[in-house]
Formats: sequence, structure tokens, C-alpha cells
Amino acid sequence: MYLFRLAMASLANRRFTAILTAFAIALSVCLLLAVERVRTEARTSFASTISGTDLIVGARSGSVNLLLYSVFRIGNATNNIRWDSFEHFANSPKVKWAIPISLGDSHRGYRVMGTTEAYFEHYQYGHQQSLQLASGRAFASDPFEVVLGAEVADALHYKLGDKLVLAHGVAAISLVKHDDKPFSVVGILKRTGTPVDRTLHISLGGMEAIHIDWHNGVPAHGAGRISADQARNMDLAPQAITAFMLGLNSKIATFAVQREINEFRGEPMLAILPGVALQELWSLMGTAEKALFVVSLFVVLTGLIGMLTAILTSLNERRREMAILRSVGARPWHIATLLVLEAFALALFGVLAGLGLLYLCIAVAQGYVQSTYGLYLPLAWPSEYEWTLLGGILIAALLMGSVPAWRAYRQSLADGLSIRL
Amino acid sequence: MTQALIELSDLSFSWPGHPPLLDIPAFRLEAGETLFLKGPSGSGKTTLLGLLGGVQKPDHGSVRLLGQELTELSAGARDRFRVDHTGYIFQQFNLLPFLSVRENVELPCHFSKLRAGRAVQRHGSVDQAAATLLAHLGLKDPELLNRRADSLSIGQQQRVAAARALIGQPELVIADEPTSALDYDAREAFIRLLFAECREAGASLLFVSHDQSLAPLFDRNLSLAELNRAATPAEV
Repeated sequence: MYLFRLAMASLANRRFTAILTAFAIALSVCLLLAVERVRTEARTSFASTISGTDLIVGARSGSVNLLLYSVFRIGNATNNIRWDSFEHFANSPKVKWAIPISLGDSHRGYRVMGTTEAYFEHYQYGHQQSLQLASGRAFASDPFEVVLGAEVADALHYKLGDKLVLAHGVAAISLVKHDDKPFSVVGILKRTGTPVDRTLHISLGGMEAIHIDWHNGVPAHGAGRISADQARNMDLAPQAITAFMLGLNSKIATFAVQREINEFRGEPMLAILPGVALQELWSLMGTAEKALFVVSLFVVLTGLIGMLTAILTSLNERRREMAILRSVGARPWHIATLLVLEAFALALFGVLAGLGLLYLCIAVAQGYVQSTYGLYLPLAWPSEYEWTLLGGILIAALLMGSVPAWRAYRQSLADGLSIRL
Repeated sequence: MTQALIELSDLSFSWPGHPPLLDIPAFRLEAGETLFLKGPSGSGKTTLLGLLGGVQKPDHGSVRLLGQELTELSAGARDRFRVDHTGYIFQQFNLLPFLSVRENVELPCHFSKLRAGRAVQRHGSVDQAAATLLAHLGLKDPELLNRRADSLSIGQQQRVAAARALIGQPELVIADEPTSALDYDAREAFIRLLFAECREAGASLLFVSHDQSLAPLFDRNLSLAELNRAATPAEV
């Protein structure tokens, strides 16, 4: 304990170098933990994008592609599936609930999704959390009603009762708009931290209605046009949808139903297990995330080598200090211990300051990161894994401290009690 | 004949690859004695002090401190023996600049239980022992005790070093040119204080210097060159 006090006093005497050294370690620790935290949160939020859904079904393509457009609103479906195929499976006795999804339109860069009330009732994310309305209600019988995701409402400043016009296609700037059939906002969902926040939800009838006078991908002209009021009185039963999600009565049936869908004779379809597809997708992105982690580990190593250099260069000018300590009874191993303690203390300060810096950064950037990237960075106590990392850094510092300790040990044996001026 | 504090016999030492530096047939320092050992720099003074401190081992011969043969002890045991029984004062920059005056004086007590125990026994606490010694050496101001050691003048620093050498009553105080940085009046005053404290503590004083003018103050005078058969005639 007394040696620790001596090491502290000696460090305080060289406080400028010591602070710089500890600061370099702090920065590297902060970076490592930030990368680790973003990584963990990204993985968690990614994995919790969808839950409770047993199967996602779309036209036959790749499982990642299906997952991307049905859940993440990225990319496009290769093909539609027929309404009667959906009904065939939705009415199966093994199926508890089914949510049809119809995609393809957008509003100022945000995707529009046609669905049914079943979506608000059964769709779940995170730890089996259901969607909740922040205000208003779900869409009802009128086809021209829209329920906004939280981010859409925030970013575009929409409130209940506002009218908005959907655009055909999913490009950010769309030249063809469904401006003859405006929608009114009837509900705004609570924030979920998932792609739901960036989606406009309309009924399948609404989706049908805005395309009712379209033929071969272009709107009708002149007399062929059908007004919104006319459309309300027409049969808006959909012919086709993009994908659907299934909840089953028994999880055990999942593989059987999956096979049934994949072997369905009506049309080629693909059923995927969301968890498996999420894993597959994450493993694609995992490489970048691992690379980032390795880079930040090397930054920590650089910080520690900086510390080693600082201590080693100080050794020569501290020969007198060592000789005085020897003359008052310190044995060579005391001197070596002093240097190890010094390295440990520097690393400890670095780690603590790094933690402080991390929390400061999170506190400052939390809101921004959440609204911009949809990532929630918690101001939480370090996880077990993070403690392990920090412990590893301290152990590495101890090991590195043994290098100057060994040199000082040799040096103090050779110098003895006196050191010439 | 009473037991000598230091007893060297038939001692020889040479640095590897160099001619013999020390060859001392016999040397004694009695308990309570103050001895002035004259030696110019390069005459092997520092090496002799290293041998007495157990930092170096002689090529052959015996080094006895308080009857204990140092050459028979392990390096760690010699270190412990040294701090238990010897206080050192060096030329200059004796103190750790980043510690307070009080902490500097108390340093040996952290490495020697024996000396800490004696300090407590005699003064009640190590703190009290340090304060009393410093007061005897003319550093009475309590505010001074908590100042950084390097904020003191050189003369004051040497008195702090003396207090450090004396704390916990070691049997031997070795002073290696402690006065070379002081002016003449201060030198004599410093030595008188040192004598008084050594007497009070019952310690012997081995004072090594090249400054002959201080020699008459001591019980006994010796020249290292007379003692050392390996010395070149020019030094005698």
C-alpha cells in the first residue's frame, strides 16, 4: 500500500506526461467500448426487428432478399403472390393469424405498406412487444386512411387529420404521384426502433384503390380515370400481395408448414423462418463489425505501447529516485513493484477516464443516434463482456509494466545506493 | 575488547576487469565513535560504502557489522540488515522531491519494522519521531513538515536528510560528503548538529569527505589511502 502511495506521488510529480499517457489510453478505451456497445446494440436491435412471427412468405427468391423487403423495407420483391394463395394458407387450421403485406409505393422516401388490421393486432418486435398507437386509431373501412410510423410523423411533421399524397414506386423522388387520391392521417404509432417507424401503413383496399385505374404500370387518362369517391364504391378486394407473415398455433408445425408452402403447387413461393434469415443476414454484415472491433483493439494496444514508452524513457532520469529509495531500505523488488504499480495506475486511470468519456459521449449523442440510425445506446453499467475487456486491458498493462520493472530492477542492482551527478 | 560496530579484515575488492581497488587488512569503527575518513574522489570511497551497505560483496575477506558477517547473508537479507542498522546521508539531492519533508524523514520506517518500532517506542509515533528530530536539527516550523522537499534550501534539505538517517536510531550513520554543497559556517554547524544527534541516539558516525578542514571536529581521523594497500603511492 505504501508502495502504491509512493508510485502515485512519483506519477503526480510527472503529471503532464502521466495525464497525456492516461488520456491516450482513455481515448482508446472509449473507442473500444463505443464500438463494442454499438456492435452489441446493432445486433440486438437487428435481432429484435421482428418477433413472434413464425414464417415470412413471399414469391420465390432468396431468403435474405425476402427478409430485406418484407421486414427492413429494403429492395424490392421479384414477384407478387396471388391473393388466393394467401387465403389458402391463411385459412389453414395450423395457422393462428396471417398478415398480408403489399409494397411498392412510397411517400417522400418512406415506404408505404398495404396491410390489414391483423398487422396492428399480431405484428411483434423486440421481446414480443406489439405495436401501439401514440395517437389516433388504426385505419378502418375508408380506404384512404393512413397510419404513420413514428419517424415518418416526426420527420415530416404530420399530425392527425393531415392529408398526404402517395407516390408510385419507391424512388426518393417520384415523378408519378397518386395525387388524385389523397390519404388522411388517422393514427401515429409509438416509436419501436425498427423499420416500422419509417413506414406508412394503409389498408389493402387503399392500395387497391390508388391503382384501380392503372393499366400496365401507367395511370389512365381522361375518361378512364376513377375518382376517389368512385373508388370507394367499387370492389377493392386485392388480386395480389407482395408477401405475408404467419403465426402458427403450434411452433412444432413450423417446418411442416414451411415445407407445405415451399412445395405449394399453385405458384412458386418461399417461406422463411425470420430468426434464421436474420442470422444469415447478420453474418453477412458481421465481417465489417468484427473488423471494426479488431481495429479498436489495436488502438488500445497503441495506447498501452505509448504508456510503455513513456515509462521507459522516464527510467533514466529517475535513477536518482531509485538510488534514494534503495538507500532508505527499498529492495530491488520494491523498485520493480513500483514500476508495475505505476503502469497499472496509468492504465486504471485511463480505463476509468475512458468509461467516463464513453458515458459522456453516449449522454450527448444518444438522442441523435437514436433518431438518425434507430440505434438505442443505453447509458447502462458495463456488461460482463465489457468488464472482461477492461480487465484484459489492465492485465495487458501489468504485463507491459513488467518490462520497465525488469529494467529498473537490473539498473538499481547495478547503481546501488549512489548515483553520480 | 568490546564488539566493534564495523570490523573489516583482509578485505579486497576489484571491479571486473580492473586492478584491485581496495585491499584493507584491518579496519574498526567502535560503537559511538565519530570517524572522519578522508579520501579524494576515485579512491574507492563509494565502493567501500557499498561494501559496508552490503550492496557489493568483497572478492574475499570479511565485513562485519554489529558482529554480523555480511558476506554470509543473501542479497535480500543484506538489504534488510542495512536499513535496520544504517542511516545514509549523501552529497546533495538526497530527498525525493515529490514527497513532503515529513514523508521523506519517515521513509526508512516504511522499509524497516525495527526502526519504525524504535521510533514509536521512543517518541510515541513515527510522525512524532520525525517532528522531534527535525526540531532538534533546527527545522521547528510545523508548516515546514508538509512542504514539498524540493521547496527547501540546500542546507535545510541536508538537515532533513540527517533526520532521515537518524530516525529509528540505527547504530551507524554513514555520511558521504554531506556538506560539500554547504558554505563553511553552515558546514560546521551542520556537523555539530549531526554529532549531537548521533550522540543522543547512540549512533556511530562514519563521515567520508575530501575536506580536511572538518577533520579536527571528529574523535578520530583516517585517510583511506593509509588504510588501503591497493592505493597508489601518489594518493598517500
